[in-house]
Amino acid sequence: MITVIEGAVVYSNLLALLAIGLTLTYITTGVANFAQGSFAVFGSYVTLSLLRLFDVHPYYALPIAFTAGGLLGVGAYILILRPLIKRGAASVILMIATLALDLVLLGIIGAYAGFLGNISGKGATKFIFTPFDSEILGISGIFLISILVIILLIAVLLFLLYRTNFGIALRASMENPSLAVIMGVNLEYTRLFSWFLSGSLATLAGSLLPFRQEIVPSTGAIIIVSIFAASIVGGLSNIYGALIGGYVIGLSESLVTYELSTILGSGVLLYGKVISLVILCLVLILAPQGLAGVRWRRVLRLHKGGGG
Amino acid sequence: MEKSSAIAQRGRRISLSLEHIILNIAIWFGLYLIVSLSLNIEYGFGGIPNFGRALAVLMGAVAVGALVNRALMALFGINGDIIVASGEVKRVMNDLILQNPLIGVGFLLVVLTVAALAGAVTGALLILPSARLSEDYLAITLLAISEVFFMISYYHPDIIGGYYGTSVPDIFAWAPSEWRIVLFALLVIVTAAAIYILLDRILTSPYGRLLKAMREDETVVRVCGRDVMWIRVRTVALGSAVAAIAGALYSLYTLNVIATSFGRVEWTFYPFLMILLGGVGNKRGVLLGTFLFVLIKILLTTYKYELRDLFRLSFETVWLEYIIFGILMLLILLYRPEGMIKEEPILTEPMKVCVKRRR
Repeated sequence: MITVIEGAVVYSNLLALLAIGLTLTYITTGVANFAQGSFAVFGSYVTLSLLRLFDVHPYYALPIAFTAGGLLGVGAYILILRPLIKRGAASVILMIATLALDLVLLGIIGAYAGFLGNISGKGATKFIFTPFDSEILGISGIFLISILVIILLIAVLLFLLYRTNFGIALRASMENPSLAVIMGVNLEYTRLFSWFLSGSLATLAGSLLPFRQEIVPSTGAIIIVSIFAASIVGGLSNIYGALIGGYVIGLSESLVTYELSTILGSGVLLYGKVISLVILCLVLILAPQGLAGVRWRRVLRLHKGGGG
Repeated sequence: MEKSSAIAQRGRRISLSLEHIILNIAIWFGLYLIVSLSLNIEYGFGGIPNFGRALAVLMGAVAVGALVNRALMALFGINGDIIVASGEVKRVMNDLILQNPLIGVGFLLVVLTVAALAGAVTGALLILPSARLSEDYLAITLLAISEVFFMISYYHPDIIGGYYGTSVPDIFAWAPSEWRIVLFALLVIVTAAAIYILLDRILTSPYGRLLKAMREDETVVRVCGRDVMWIRVRTVALGSAVAAIAGALYSLYTLNVIATSFGRVEWTFYPFLMILLGGVGNKRGVLLGTFLFVLIKILLTTYKYELRDLFRLSFETVWLEYIIFGILMLLILLYRPEGMIKEEPILTEPMKVCVKRRR
């Protein structure tokens, strides 16, 4: 049971990273990035290549994966999305563009997996990092590392957003872009920054994901449902919402399916994504603004009023 | 070793023969034309971003593999799980069709009707969330629903046999095997042509203009006293019924139903690519876009060994296909957003007379 909870927390941490990235680019550029899952798998393969070719331990590869992902995000924005946004393309067109980018990435990753397998002499179309993980005081390394990454991220974000001028400009352009422009904020910087951070958080999550589950080139297509569920549960408008959404979806996907499997048999374990979909639909029906958009005080007051 | 390579050589020569390529193009053109026409009603005319197109196609296949197969099991009194029993159903049906080809025709009609109904119901239910969701959320939700149903039908063996799949009777069991593909090409092309004409009639009616009005501005449609939600439900039900027919035909052609054939790339992304390539919201554009896409796709799959040898690729060519079509889509979006053929106003009968007089 402890290992189940540990695994669930690790998964939630990684999902939170992915959802924060997705939400960030949605806030600043209005693009719902369907390639976020493939960004993560890209990160997994960057880390795998460093391990196979240069014998770098996955944990030490994190800074490189972070940078590579940031460049991928910025590249996607500059080459594909910025021209489309400048032309005033509809949001559906932007989404189709990210679907196309997702497909290109899937193709490149699949081809590269074959190539890497050939030159390293070990199959690369399916891999897992768990043998490289070590235990510290009886707790698995990935558990500590993923929590450390989340805490670091939140600390950096809090400092950046609330203690620097750039952060104030960033928050202003998220909350009211036109007013921010009038006040002299350059939206382009905040957009570039958000795409860099989104890409690098995705590849960071992707580098750590093989410690928890097996990665194949098409893993992105499977986890994208969970990423979107987490982001929508968080409201797609608020970074902290995405964090909460990541935990809500991650924990329920692992723990609810685990609980169900003890009653209904291990066959249920395959249907984790159904739980995400159900939660996604419930949130859309009950609180379309996401959990972060609910006015909890009012809900509580109503509840109290109803009870008394 | 030598013998097997000789067989492989011969197999390659057969698959490379010109008739075979043309027949393959015909079948895939027909199948994809049906799907891209269905998407053109919803996205091209109605502006509904149906990122769950693959679900309706999958439902067409489920109608064959799960519903019709189970009905036949009950009819013939065959028991057991769907994977084995569908093989038995196939054997019995093939015998019957061999004796009387008309049974094959009847079976085809039943299958298409059930598939269209299943598609329509799925589509009508699928679009209900749009009552409360904005365009972005709707697209994400539809994609998520489609993806999850795809996973369930792949993992759960009791629907369409999971990763084993189910068997499907051969409607042309009476024909010699070399004629089967020809008959199928004819069937698919005739069905696609019928759907093309039917949808053209429907979309040149006031309904088509209503859809385009909804795409441009929902508020105007609402002000004119139309119920936007009801238009959406009807449109997606119609589109999904049509797409389900393609799923059913594909299953009849391959003689089995397996969830992996109905992925998001093949039946949601590619149809979007076809209509954006040809030109959104116009029938000739859809025709051209579908044809060009199928031509590239079939040539890629036919000459995959040659391509691999030529470029010394060390990977499966399917990845190359993804890269090519992904980049093609990006190039269209960036440099030719209106597609190959620009959208034209709908020519109604009185307008046709006016145009003639002008000339």
